[in-house]
Amino acid sequence: MASYDAVVIGAGHNSLVCAAYLARAGRKVLVVERRERIGGAAVTEEVFPGFRFSVFSYVVSLLRPEIIRELELPRHGLHILPLESTFTPLPDGNYLAQWNDHDQNRRELARHSLRDAEAYDEFGLMLHQMARAVKPLLAMAPPDPTSLSFGDLMGMKRLGEHFRGLGVKRFSMLTKLLTMSSADFLDEWFESEPLKATKSASGIIGTLLGPRSPGTAYVLLHHYMGELDGVFRAWGFAKGGNGSVTAAIAGAAQAAGAEIRTAAPVAQVLVKHGRARGVLLDDGEEIGAKLVVSGADPRRTFLGLVGEQHLPGPFVDSIRRFRFRGSSAKVNLALGELPDFAALPGRGPHLRGAVSISPSVDYLERAYDEAKYGEYSKRPYMDIVIPSLLDPQMAPPGKHVMSIFVQYAPYQLNGGWTDARREAFGDTVVDTLAQYAPNLKNAILHRQVVTPADIERIVGLSEGNIFQGELSLQQMFFLRPVPAWAKYRTPVSALWQCGAGTHPGGGVMGASGRNAAMQILGRS
Amino acid sequence: MSRTIVIGGGADALVAAQVLARGGHEVMVIESRAASAEEGWTPAKVLRALELEPVELQWPEPWLSAPLPAGGRLELWRDVARSVESIRCVSPKDAERWPEFCERMAKLARFLESVYSEAPPDPLSPRFALRARRLGRRGLEDLLRILPMPVAELLDDWFENDVLKGLLGAAGVQHIMQGPRSAGTAFRFLHHHVGSPTGVFRPPRSNVIELLRRLPRVELQNTEVLHIAVRAGSVVGVVLKDGRELDADIVVSSIEPRRTLVELVEPGWLDPELVRALRYVRRRGVAARIRLQLDRSPGFSALALAPSLDYLERAYDDAKHGRVSREPYLEATCDAQHRMEVLVQYVPYKQKAVSLEGRVLGVLGEHWGEARPTHTEFLSPRELEEFEGWPEGQPHHAELSLDQALWMRPLPELARYRAPLPGLWLCGPAMHPGAGIAGASGFHCAHAILGR
Amino acid sequence: MASSYELSHEREYHAIRSAAALLDVSPLYKYRVRGKDAARLLHLVVTRSVEDMKVGQVGYTPWCDAAGKVLDDGTIARLGEREFRMTAAEPNLRWLEDNAVGLDVSVEDVSDSLAALALQGPASRIILEEIDLKYFRIADTTFRGIPVQVSRTGYTGDLGFELWVRKERALALWDALIEAGTPYGIVPAGMLALDVARIEAGLMLIDVDYVPARKALIDSQTSSPFELDLAWTVNLQKERFVGREALAAEAARGPQWQFVGVEIEWQSLERLYAEVGLATRLPATAWRTSVPIYSGGEQAGYATSGGWSPLLKKYVALAHLQSKWAAPGTGLEIEITVEHRRKRAGARVVKKPFFDPERKRG
Repeated sequence: MASYDAVVIGAGHNSLVCAAYLARAGRKVLVVERRERIGGAAVTEEVFPGFRFSVFSYVVSLLRPEIIRELELPRHGLHILPLESTFTPLPDGNYLAQWNDHDQNRRELARHSLRDAEAYDEFGLMLHQMARAVKPLLAMAPPDPTSLSFGDLMGMKRLGEHFRGLGVKRFSMLTKLLTMSSADFLDEWFESEPLKATKSASGIIGTLLGPRSPGTAYVLLHHYMGELDGVFRAWGFAKGGNGSVTAAIAGAAQAAGAEIRTAAPVAQVLVKHGRARGVLLDDGEEIGAKLVVSGADPRRTFLGLVGEQHLPGPFVDSIRRFRFRGSSAKVNLALGELPDFAALPGRGPHLRGAVSISPSVDYLERAYDEAKYGEYSKRPYMDIVIPSLLDPQMAPPGKHVMSIFVQYAPYQLNGGWTDARREAFGDTVVDTLAQYAPNLKNAILHRQVVTPADIERIVGLSEGNIFQGELSLQQMFFLRPVPAWAKYRTPVSALWQCGAGTHPGGGVMGASGRNAAMQILGRS
Repeated sequence: MSRTIVIGGGADALVAAQVLARGGHEVMVIESRAASAEEGWTPAKVLRALELEPVELQWPEPWLSAPLPAGGRLELWRDVARSVESIRCVSPKDAERWPEFCERMAKLARFLESVYSEAPPDPLSPRFALRARRLGRRGLEDLLRILPMPVAELLDDWFENDVLKGLLGAAGVQHIMQGPRSAGTAFRFLHHHVGSPTGVFRPPRSNVIELLRRLPRVELQNTEVLHIAVRAGSVVGVVLKDGRELDADIVVSSIEPRRTLVELVEPGWLDPELVRALRYVRRRGVAARIRLQLDRSPGFSALALAPSLDYLERAYDDAKHGRVSREPYLEATCDAQHRMEVLVQYVPYKQKAVSLEGRVLGVLGEHWGEARPTHTEFLSPRELEEFEGWPEGQPHHAELSLDQALWMRPLPELARYRAPLPGLWLCGPAMHPGAGIAGASGFHCAHAILGR
Repeated sequence: MASSYELSHEREYHAIRSAAALLDVSPLYKYRVRGKDAARLLHLVVTRSVEDMKVGQVGYTPWCDAAGKVLDDGTIARLGEREFRMTAAEPNLRWLEDNAVGLDVSVEDVSDSLAALALQGPASRIILEEIDLKYFRIADTTFRGIPVQVSRTGYTGDLGFELWVRKERALALWDALIEAGTPYGIVPAGMLALDVARIEAGLMLIDVDYVPARKALIDSQTSSPFELDLAWTVNLQKERFVGREALAAEAARGPQWQFVGVEIEWQSLERLYAEVGLATRLPATAWRTSVPIYSGGEQAGYATSGGWSPLLKKYVALAHLQSKWAAPGTGLEIEITVEHRRKRAGARVVKKPFFDPERKRG
C-alpha cells in the first residue's frame, strides 16, 4: 500500500490549492481525481471541434490575490483578461451599460437617472469600505462562538475588536448587508430598475433565492473584493478558459512535488478507530496517508465517502440539514457570428464585457417564483460572456463561443430532469436571448445545455450547487458546513475538508483550500 | 423639575410617562386617539417598577386550530401533551418531536425576553457575549443558526405535516412583507413566542393598557400635536392642533420616527443623511383586519387558515407583485361574547381590496357552522393607517426584520431612544423591542432620559 | 474641458492676463432652484447666508455634510425672489433634493441644457460692449442678438465674466465672442492655462486641493471650510445649516489645518540646481501632486498644487499647513526633486492671492 503524508480527494481548484500549499511545505501529497481530467468545475473542454468552453464556471473574480502571488500562478500560465463592462439590454429597445471608465459610466447612468449617477460613487465607496471590513474574515478559520477553548475565545476577541474598529456606522452597514435582501438594500441607493436588477443579480447567483429574499445583499460585496488588493479589474476571464486556472494551480502543485492521479475515483475514506488512514479507490487499490483532505462537498464527503457509522449522530443530522438546492445552469453556444443586440447593434465594446439579462427586479423575482415551486424560469436571468472576443483561441477564426449562465433551473425540477426537459430548457434560454439579439438563432452552430443534474453527475457537486452548499447566512462562517466543525477539521481525526462547502465558500476563490492547508500546517 | 410632554397614548407612551413622573418629571401625555387593546407581553421588570397588577395575559384555548383536509381540526393547546395527542392524528413523527421543539424554542424565547427587558444590546460587548453564552452550547448554536433562517427551513428541519407547518410558519410572517421562505422569518417566529408559555406560539392579549390608564401622576390630554417646536437646535415644546403652544424641556414621541422627525419637526434641523435613512425604514402594512360580531359561537376560539408553507408563500407572491393575495392567510380569534377579529394577509397598502371582505367571510363561513355575523367592520391597511395611526397600516411602525431589529431598530443612529435633537426622545413600536412587546420601549426610553 | 487649444498653453495664459481668453466651462453642474422655499433650501444647504442675497447677486460658497466637512463648492446666483442657480463641480441633485424634504421648492438639473462660457482678462469688458456690471453681480442681456445672462465671475482672479446661454445658442455665442474679441486679442483657452491663473489667484480646485467628503476613504482626508481658508464663507449667525454644529465647535477651538500660499525661495532653488551643475529648472505646467513641506525635522504639511507664475516670476504653491506653521512669513522647506534626488528648498508662507489686480473688482 503506497503511503503519503496527505491524500487530497478531488482535483478542483480548492483541492489543488490545498495540495500545492501542503507540497510547498514539504509534504508528500497525492491528489486523486475521479474524472480523466483535473479541474472540477473549473475546466476548459473542446465540446465541439474547434470550440473550447469553460463548461461550468466561466469567469474569475474572486480568486484570492495572495494565492495568485504565493503560488506564482502567472508563471504557471494564468493570465486574466479583464471584462470591460456589463451591458443590460432592455425589452423596450433601450439598454443600460456599466463601464469601467468613471465618466463614461456616469454619463450612461445619468441617461437613466441623475440621482443614480450621483449615488453611484458613494455606493462604490461604501462597498469598498465594507469589503475592507470583510476581507480579514476570508483568510480566517472562523472561530466558534459557542466554544470555550482558548483559541476560539481569542479568535472571537480578535473578531470583536475588528468589528469594533469599524465604528457603529460601518458595523451597522455590514449587518444590513448580511441580513437584507439585495432589492431592499439597493432601493436605498438607486431608482433605476435595470441598474438595481443587474446589481442585485449578483446576489442571487448560485442560490435558490430571489432578489427580494433577505440575505442576498451580502454577495453584492464580492464584486468589490478584488479591487481592494490593488488587482484592478480583478473581474475577468482566464485566457484559455477556466481550465487554465486549475491547470496553473496544478502546475504549481506539481512543481512543488505533488502527484496528481486522474481517473482514480475514491470509493471510501479508510477510517480505523476514529482516524482516517487513507482512501480506497473504486478499483480496490488502497492508498495510505497520514491525513486525508476532502475537496468534495460535505454531503458527499461525510455521507458518501466516510459513512455515518464513523460519525456522531448530531453531526450527521447537521450534514443532512445542510442545504444545496442547485439552481444554476449553463448553456454553451458555438456561434457562426456575433450576436447583434437590437438595443446596441454592431460589434461594440459592450460585447467584450458581460451581457446581463436582468431588465428589472420584478423580472428576476418572477424568474425565482417559478423555481420556488419546482419549475425552471420561463424568462430566466442570464449572465453572458463571449470569451472568443477576449481570447480568439477559444473558437475557430471568425467564429465564437458564448457562455450563458442561467438562473433559475432548480435541481428539484417537478418530474425531474430528462433529456427532453433539458433541451426544452435550452430552447427557453435561446428564445429569451433571441428577443434581445434577433440574429442569435441563425448564428448557433452547436449548443450544450448543462443542468444542475448534469453538474452533479459530471462534476460531483451535490444537487449541482455551484458553491458546494448555499451561501445563506445560516450556512456561513462558523456555521459552514456545521457549527463546531467549520475550521476544516472533521469529527474523524486526520480527515480534513478543504472544499467550498467550508468557510468562506464558493466562487473559484481558493480561500477554503488555502485556509485548510494553513490549518493543517498549524499556521494561521 | 423637567417639564415633559409624551406624545401618543399607547402602552409605550404611558409607561414612559409613568416612569418619568416617578423620576420627578412633570409629565403630560397628549394622545390623539385612545390606543386599542394591545397584544403582547410586557417584561416583568416593567410591571414591577410600575406596580402594575393584576396583569392578565390571555390566550385562546386551544390557542390555535386549523382545519384538516380530511376533516376535523388540528388543535394546539397550552398543554404540550394535549397538543401531542392532536398532532399524532396527522403525523406520529411530528407528535413525537413536538415536546423537544417546544423546549428548544422556549429556551430561545426566554433569551429574547431577557434581551427585550433592556435597552438594545451592544452586539460587540463582552457583556452581551456572556449573556448569550448562558444559553449553553446547543442553545447558542440554535440561536445563531435560527435567527437568520427562513421559518420554512426551521420547520422543515423539524416537521413533515403541512397543516402544522403552515400554522406555525404563519407566526413568522404576520405583519411583514415577506413569505415563510424569506430569511429572518425564523427570528420573527421566536419574537412572537416571547412571553408565551412553552408550546404556545402566538402572543397573548394583555390588560396592561387598562391598568396603565388607571395610574395617577400623569395628566392626559386628548388632542393632536401639529409640530414639535425647536429653537436654537433644541426642543422647546409642542404646538397643538388647536394652536396652543406648550413649553417643555423634554418631548418623548411614541409616534413612528419618520413622522416624528420628518413631519412634526420643521425641516432643516436634522442631518439630511438621517432624513434619507428614515425614508428607507420599511413599514409596509400587509394585513387587513375584520372585526365582527357573531350571533353565536363559531365553534372555535382561534382558527388559522394557512394550510401549508407553500400556501403562505403563494399568498406572499401575490403581494410581492402588488396584488391582494388571491388566497389570503386568515387567522381568526373569537372571545366569549362571540366577538371575532380576523387578520387577513397579504393586502398591500396601495390596494383597495374592495371585494376582499365578502370573500373572506365566505371562506370563514365554511368553518363557523350556524353562526351568522350581525355586524362587521373591514379595515384595509390604508384604513388602519387612518383609524389606528399605523403608518401604511403597519402596526409595528417599522417592519420587524433582522436589519430593523435590536441595535438597528429602526435605525442604528436612533436605537438608543435619543433623537439627534437635544430634548427629543423616541419610544413606541418602532423602537426596540417594540413590535408587540407592550411598554418595554417606553420603559427603556424613560430610563435613558433619566440617565439610568 | 480642453487642456489647450494650441501646442503650448503659454499664449492662452498670457491672453488671460493681458488681453482676453474664452473658456468653455459648460461641464460645470448647474441647478435651477425655484419655489417659495428656494432661498430657504439654499440657506440650509450652504455655509453662507443666502436669504440676505439681493436679486442679481452672485455668491461663492462651499457646502458641507453634517460633520462640517466640505462636499463641494460653487456659486449661487439669485435670479429672482424665488429663483436661484447653483453651480457645482460634482453632481448635487440628490443632495439638494434630500435637503428639500418638507420644503416647497423644485430643483432642476440644467447642466445639459445650459452652456457656460467664461470670458476672462482685461479686455473682457470692452469685448462685452463696455458692459456695466459690478463684481459678483449677474444680469440678463443680449450679445449680438443672442439672449444671455452675464455674471461678473470667474476662476482666473482677473477682470472677467461668465456667460450663461441655452445650449442651442452656445456655438453662435462662442463665434460671436471670438469675432468681437479678435481685435482685442481674444484667444480660446483651456485647462492648462486656467490652472496657472487660478493658482496665482489662490483659488482651490476640488479633487486636487481638497477631497470632497463624499469621496474620502478615511476621515482624515476630509476638510472643513476653515481648513480651506474659507472661514469668510461660514456664517455662524445663521440659526441652522448643514454642518453648523460641527463648524461652530471647530470655530471655537480653532482649525487644525490652514490652506495657504507658499512661495519657494529663488536663491534656495538656484543653489540646489547649481550644486549639481545645472541652471534652475522650472515646471512647464502647473503641477497637481502632493508635495511634503517641512519645518526642521517635522512635516508641517503638504502642497497640493503649484507652479511657476510667468507674470510674477515666482514659484508658488497652494498648501495645507498645520495651524502652528501657517502664519504669513513662516519659513519652511518644500521637497524638490533635483536631478533624481530629493532635496529641500526654502519656502515662505505668503498671503493669498499671489496676484490680485485692481481691475478684478474695479
